[in-house]
Amino acid sequence: MDWTLEAPREQAALSGDPYDCWVSPQGFCMAEFRHVGHDYLIRFPGQADFLLQPEKDTFHTSAWPSPDCDGQTVANLYHNAIEPILGNHSGGLFLHGSAVVLQQAKRSFGEGGAIAFLGLSRGGKTTLAGSFAAAGFPFLTEDVIDLRMEKDLYLLQPKRSKLRLFADSARFLLGADASFADENIKQEVVADEGLPFAETQAPLRQIYILGADHAAPISIRRLSNQDALSALLPHAFILDVTDKARLKAHFERMADLSQDIACHALDFTRDYAELPKVRDAVLKCFASLPS
Amino acid sequence: MQLTDRFTVSQDVVTREVGGELVLLDLNSGQYFGLDAVGGRIWELLSNAPCNLNELCDKIESEFDAPRQRIEADLIALARQLQEQELIRAAVP
Repeated sequence: MDWTLEAPREQAALSGDPYDCWVSPQGFCMAEFRHVGHDYLIRFPGQADFLLQPEKDTFHTSAWPSPDCDGQTVANLYHNAIEPILGNHSGGLFLHGSAVVLQQAKRSFGEGGAIAFLGLSRGGKTTLAGSFAAAGFPFLTEDVIDLRMEKDLYLLQPKRSKLRLFADSARFLLGADASFADENIKQEVVADEGLPFAETQAPLRQIYILGADHAAPISIRRLSNQDALSALLPHAFILDVTDKARLKAHFERMADLSQDIACHALDFTRDYAELPKVRDAVLKCFASLPS
Repeated sequence: MQLTDRFTVSQDVVTREVGGELVLLDLNSGQYFGLDAVGGRIWELLSNAPCNLNELCDKIESEFDAPRQRIEADLIALARQLQEQELIRAAVP
């Protein structure tokens, strides 16, 4: 997959309704999906337009940032939204979430592995992954779960070695004296010794789906396979919900995942002081996995 | 809705059994639904061939330990929900 960054342009009004929208928990449209002939136009309002043009077995992507949108934001949109969208469209398995390695996997993948945190935007996924990293458990990804099947294992791929955090979360990890040029945007925190990054793939062992109640007490509940499937589906990236063949195939892959990997509902109060207890609860749950 | 009403499943629904229960995905809306063991069996029967609710009640009564009156009430409620979600539709007798 490749992409081209075009010159900034205003987002002109588009005719017709989109065939799909991503809506934030607050009810705002985060992305609109439209057919343009055989191409797809994905608009992130106020940020960028992406045109996906079929090219052999893949797509060429062109991005037009809005005049006020910086290049880094467009790159983040490409890596954290467009790439996983195209990955799922091509038969891959991509989910919206963060992940950490709890125990470095041995070559046989017989022990240890990764856990993934899925949740809504601004649900605490990255902060939780950062908290684990700061405690010595390397993070694999902060926003995109990319799973590759190999010998009945779901191998979770390392992504970019940086965490994007709002200023308060970044200070929680970096220290209270950390300063940022713009407090209102996400800060890019690069991995280092104190915030280790896992550079190699690791087998996915568990999935934790973060609850939407940010005031809930800590609890971890194993989900039935059916509940797991229902809970996983909203966290996938779908390019074309009108493409029934691909939607069906994607549903099958997600159903397999819900049966193969233990899924848990994880609730906790979104308070930095709570994070050590959350880590302990997750580690205890991970330790209870049959070997 | 009457027990003599006849239904068939939408061709735009895919199903998958997970953990002994059935999850339905409506390919038109992208929405998904869960059915318990009895609901899953009803879906299976409807998938095999269009039938009316009385016929479904007969099957469920023979396979599950529940009074006929309750089966009828639950089946009508389920059929109403499935029809509202366009997962099933009326079938011509």
